Amino acid sequence: MPSDTVATAVAPRVRVRMETPGRRIWRATHRQFEFKLGLFLLVVLVGAALIYPHFTKLSPTRMHIMQRFWPPAFLPGGHWTHLLGTDQLGRDLFLRSLIGLQNALMISVSAVIIMFVVGAIVGLLAGFYGGIIDTVLMRITDAQLAVPVIILAITILTVHRPSPESVTLVLALSGWPGYARVVRSVTLAERQREYVRGAKILGASPIRIMLQMIAPNVLPPIAFVAVLDIARMMIFEAILGFIGIGVQPPTPTFGNIIADGRQYLINAWWISTMPGAFLFLTLLGINLVGSSIERARNQVLEGRI
Amino acid sequence: MAFLATFLIRRLAQGVLIVLIVSFAIFTALRLVPGDPARLILGPMASDAVVEQTAREMGLRDPIPVQYVHWLGQVLQGNLGTSFIKAKSGGEAAGGRDTSALGDKATVVALLEQSLPMTLQLAALALVFAFLISVPIGIVAGMNSGGWFDRFAVYLGSAFVSIPNFWLAIVLALVVTAELQWIPSIGYQGFSYTILPAFVIAIEMSPIFMRSLTSSIASAKQRNFVALADVRGLSKRRIFLRHILRNAAVPVLNIFGVQIGAMLGGVLIVEYIFNYPGIGLLTVQAVLERDFPVIQGVALISACIFVVINILVDLISTKIDPRLDF
Repeated sequence: MPSDTVATAVAPRVRVRMETPGRRIWRATHRQFEFKLGLFLLVVLVGAALIYPHFTKLSPTRMHIMQRFWPPAFLPGGHWTHLLGTDQLGRDLFLRSLIGLQNALMISVSAVIIMFVVGAIVGLLAGFYGGIIDTVLMRITDAQLAVPVIILAITILTVHRPSPESVTLVLALSGWPGYARVVRSVTLAERQREYVRGAKILGASPIRIMLQMIAPNVLPPIAFVAVLDIARMMIFEAILGFIGIGVQPPTPTFGNIIADGRQYLINAWWISTMPGAFLFLTLLGINLVGSSIERARNQVLEGRI
Repeated sequence: MAFLATFLIRRLAQGVLIVLIVSFAIFTALRLVPGDPARLILGPMASDAVVEQTAREMGLRDPIPVQYVHWLGQVLQGNLGTSFIKAKSGGEAAGGRDTSALGDKATVVALLEQSLPMTLQLAALALVFAFLISVPIGIVAGMNSGGWFDRFAVYLGSAFVSIPNFWLAIVLALVVTAELQWIPSIGYQGFSYTILPAFVIAIEMSPIFMRSLTSSIASAKQRNFVALADVRGLSKRRIFLRHILRNAAVPVLNIFGVQIGAMLGGVLIVEYIFNYPGIGLLTVQAVLERDFPVIQGVALISACIFVVINILVDLISTKIDPRLDF
């Protein structure tokens, strides 16, 4: 890949058939082993989270006093019915982790979608109009970046009772400024391009230029990289749950499972560590997929492929 | 020098604006939290009339903008207010809740003076660790871009970002402190208590530095002047230091500036888990106890730190790369 980059960089535009950047990024992505490995992890874990809870007789919330503190199945004293062992109330940790994964995915994916849309709108407006609109929007963005998000999050979640919706909104709040900045900077560059000036001369409305011309050109490459933010948001969601201001028990989340297990750490270390390891593998899958997409995108944008 | 002065003035003015917006937003958000601070201070035994009177004395019944301007005026005189909860001795004022006098409570400035150095120490050590991990790996991976080490670094980076920081903190506290008893953590009784928390923060930060260093070195290496420097007969060492590393330093610095906010989040949760007496622990406790003056103080300080570091980053960037103009 690197040895032939010089050669291809010299003759970038020889392709006759037009191919959208999105398709080129996709082709460059799925050639990477990293991507396949990450996708494999995700398919297995997310697949299990979607299917297993419907087919098991176990309940993620019902207590079994006789089955408390069972170690994971691969340790002496473990049972194959409880793959990752049971917690202080005799609940199956594997099932609870899977339900936690469902919740975490739903919350973080919606949060990323919201922050992307908000960031894109702010960035498009600021970059396209410039002037006073740009100044005001960007100062708000800077201010948002300067507040430690976690302080804001804790404050908001003590005002509103934490629910999946409020947690999602708080996560979205943490991420939109990054998107606003990036979208603004690419929009600034795009505004100078001939097709935009041409459209202006032809009398196209600003909304039309922004949504139909600039957005389709600048947003997809940014959207691809948003995959990485899903992982960041899952960690953030888990942190909120861990401090006790995430989605509330009895709904299992990675955060509250790990926080609950903390007091039994010495005698039953698996309660906190196993769900954490489960979360780690999921995040690894997302990050491998995300970083291979990012790498492919950079190669495409720099004209190396 | 004139350039420097205008740059500083412009950035400082912007910075002040940002800090004002941030502090007003936090101030307003806190006033919307249910639960009356006066009731919190006086405890459940006080009568409603006394609570109401104290609230009026403290200005808690004024309109929010009035309270904000009042608070801002005090801040400009170096007075960040007095904690609702924390006693001067450092502990919680458990027995002192029935007195209406605030005299025995710690000032926010004093609390910040106690905890800020601790957090700075933690952050500095975390940065040292993060650079020790990421600089060698980033440089080798960038110089051998596409080679096996580069691929290894990609996997390592992905693994590091995937580790939930609070989970790593728990595991390290369990294994290194409780089981093996190698390095103490939990609480603070000496410098060695900083090592594990700093390590956790470093693991969280290093992938970002690693990745940006790798990619910026790889792209600096392919520039024409590097190939030309080889032809000019410059030593490998000189090419690396003056041509490659110097060009790669600016993007990494910028990433660092942006990361400060995120790093603060990491510091907060890690301090909370390790019970490390810094700004993070102070903040979490203050929020859980609705200790408004402390939260406001922390938000103000952290916004200021964010602004100052970003100005410094831009200044150093122009020093390294004079073509940059702000």
